Amino acid sequence: MLKRRHSPLQRGGFLLVCGVVLLVASNFVDELRSYQGAQVAVYLVAISSIILLTGYSGQISLGHGAIMAIGSYAAALAFTLWNFSFEFAILFGMLVGTLAGFILGVAAARLSGPYLAGTTLALAVGLPSIADQFKVLGGEQGLNFDIGDPPGWIKKFEGSDFTQYKWFFWLMAIVALFVIWAITNLLQSSYGRNWRAARNNPVAASLAGINVVRGKVLAFTVSSALASLAGALFGILLGIVTPSAFPLALSFTILTGAVLAGVGNLAGSIAGAVVLVAIPEFSGALATHLGSSQKLTANLPGLVTSLLLIFVVLFKPEGLLQKNRAKSIKQLNS
Amino acid sequence: MIFIDTLLLGISSGAIYSLMALALVLVWRSTRVVNFAQASQAVLSTYVGYEITMRTHNYWVSLPVAILFGAALGSSIDLLFMFYLAKKVRSGPIAEIAPVIATLGLLGLLQSIIGLIWGNSFLQYSTPLSGKGFTFGNHTVPFSPQNLLIVLATALVLIVFGVVFKFTNLGLALRAASFQPEIAQLAGIRVGRIRNIGWAFAGAAGAVAGAVITPTSVLSPNSLDLLLVSGFIAAVMGGLDSLVGAVIGGLVLGIGFAFILQYVGSSVTFLAGFFILVIVLLIRPRGLFGHQLGRHA
Repeated sequence: MLKRRHSPLQRGGFLLVCGVVLLVASNFVDELRSYQGAQVAVYLVAISSIILLTGYSGQISLGHGAIMAIGSYAAALAFTLWNFSFEFAILFGMLVGTLAGFILGVAAARLSGPYLAGTTLALAVGLPSIADQFKVLGGEQGLNFDIGDPPGWIKKFEGSDFTQYKWFFWLMAIVALFVIWAITNLLQSSYGRNWRAARNNPVAASLAGINVVRGKVLAFTVSSALASLAGALFGILLGIVTPSAFPLALSFTILTGAVLAGVGNLAGSIAGAVVLVAIPEFSGALATHLGSSQKLTANLPGLVTSLLLIFVVLFKPEGLLQKNRAKSIKQLNS
Repeated sequence: MIFIDTLLLGISSGAIYSLMALALVLVWRSTRVVNFAQASQAVLSTYVGYEITMRTHNYWVSLPVAILFGAALGSSIDLLFMFYLAKKVRSGPIAEIAPVIATLGLLGLLQSIIGLIWGNSFLQYSTPLSGKGFTFGNHTVPFSPQNLLIVLATALVLIVFGVVFKFTNLGLALRAASFQPEIAQLAGIRVGRIRNIGWAFAGAAGAVAGAVITPTSVLSPNSLDLLLVSGFIAAVMGGLDSLVGAVIGGLVLGIGFAFILQYVGSSVTFLAGFFILVIVLLIRPRGLFGHQLGRHA
């Protein structure tokens, strides 16, 4: 339903139906599943930011975890220090993340492949340590980002047993669906077309009158806006924003999700997000099944993730869910 | 005095960054892949060295074994994996990031295998050399015999590589194969085999780095991750194509980090690394020693 032949309204309708189904379904699952559902929604937003950047604009970022941290910290600061309501705190986080992304994007547009990867990697390693430098960021203890109970009108509407995690799930699922709708439309507009053109052949694109550099900066900025949104939601879900919540591994995790989804395929990002959340659960169960020794439980998730990554890169480079897409891409390229 | 102490510390850590950067540059030159698995290759070689010292109680036996193992590991990763990857993934949106993802996957794979065999707890890889600094008069500099070994080992590796690259037929083939693979092949160089030797050299350099730096701290499956990041920053700063650039990038980064650590504070070092890198790359987008008109990979 997210194909090019459908109009934005049709896609909107489809996603609206998805949303209603999800929200109704949330009444039939327990707390843990609601939490995991919210987690999937957060990963979904983060993965789509990578897909937009790498799949459509052809830039690599190993530092999107750092941009998530920027969004998360800005939102938490606005929430605790300046008493913003949480909606405006999220928006403020996005604003700061977008600005940071714009500055980074201007630098990134000059760099190619591995040079960009190295720069963003350095950012991902270096940035979380800023929290120790400024008192206002709370050091290792971090910032409180507890948005409290669900608002009154929802409780009135859904009954008083409406739990916090279910509220998080509602909030984040709605945001994620809206993000998917917005990005699908963006990618099918002239902007998305220009990004693809500039990725496939920068020289030809600039001869056709496309401003390649401006497109790259714009893609990085939009991608950062999404990543910081994901960061702010992640902060809300954790209830607290700490430097250790944004390790280098987070940047790699969302990159993994994007690869599992197939980097050029937005619809696959849902599968990618689900797999990311399912891996720890699945490998936990497997470890118990194999006799849960310390070594096994500590290393099985990593083993499963890495094997899956290698398998996908070698055998299903267009993503887990895709069939015969490689052929059509080959035809397009030839 | 503090100035000289800081400089010595910087040179010693810079030497290690150079080794790691060198390993990354060797692979990049021959394969156009940034090998993130290098950290886990080096750590696995170090674990092998650790196992040998446990059995023989002799560090000097374990060192060459670790290096040989590192070389063999690098070459077999190329043969079993990267060769296949390069054939398989050529086009589509994933082509550009496939090598990055594949080596990140390998990094995770090797680290979890290490964790499954040796566990995730910290181990001590001990050496006969003292970790206490040399004393001159009544001043103890923060530069121990182990640090001296680090610098000497790096220098030795550099000299060996330098001689091989400059004065041997193998070195000429390596340079030709990385500069123009198609033409090198036409000239009768077996590019695939040469590439494999590049991977083996890189694995050995990484193993040296792991085996001499680990005694100054602890050994765990991801104890060399930060070294990889520093090495990568150093390599990018030096221009990924240049061996000299990797060494100078490593030294600049090591000395820079040491001074920032001394005069600013420990927690901003990597952020400072980011800013140094951005400034260098904004002035020269292909690094200090990279070719401005690099070929299109």
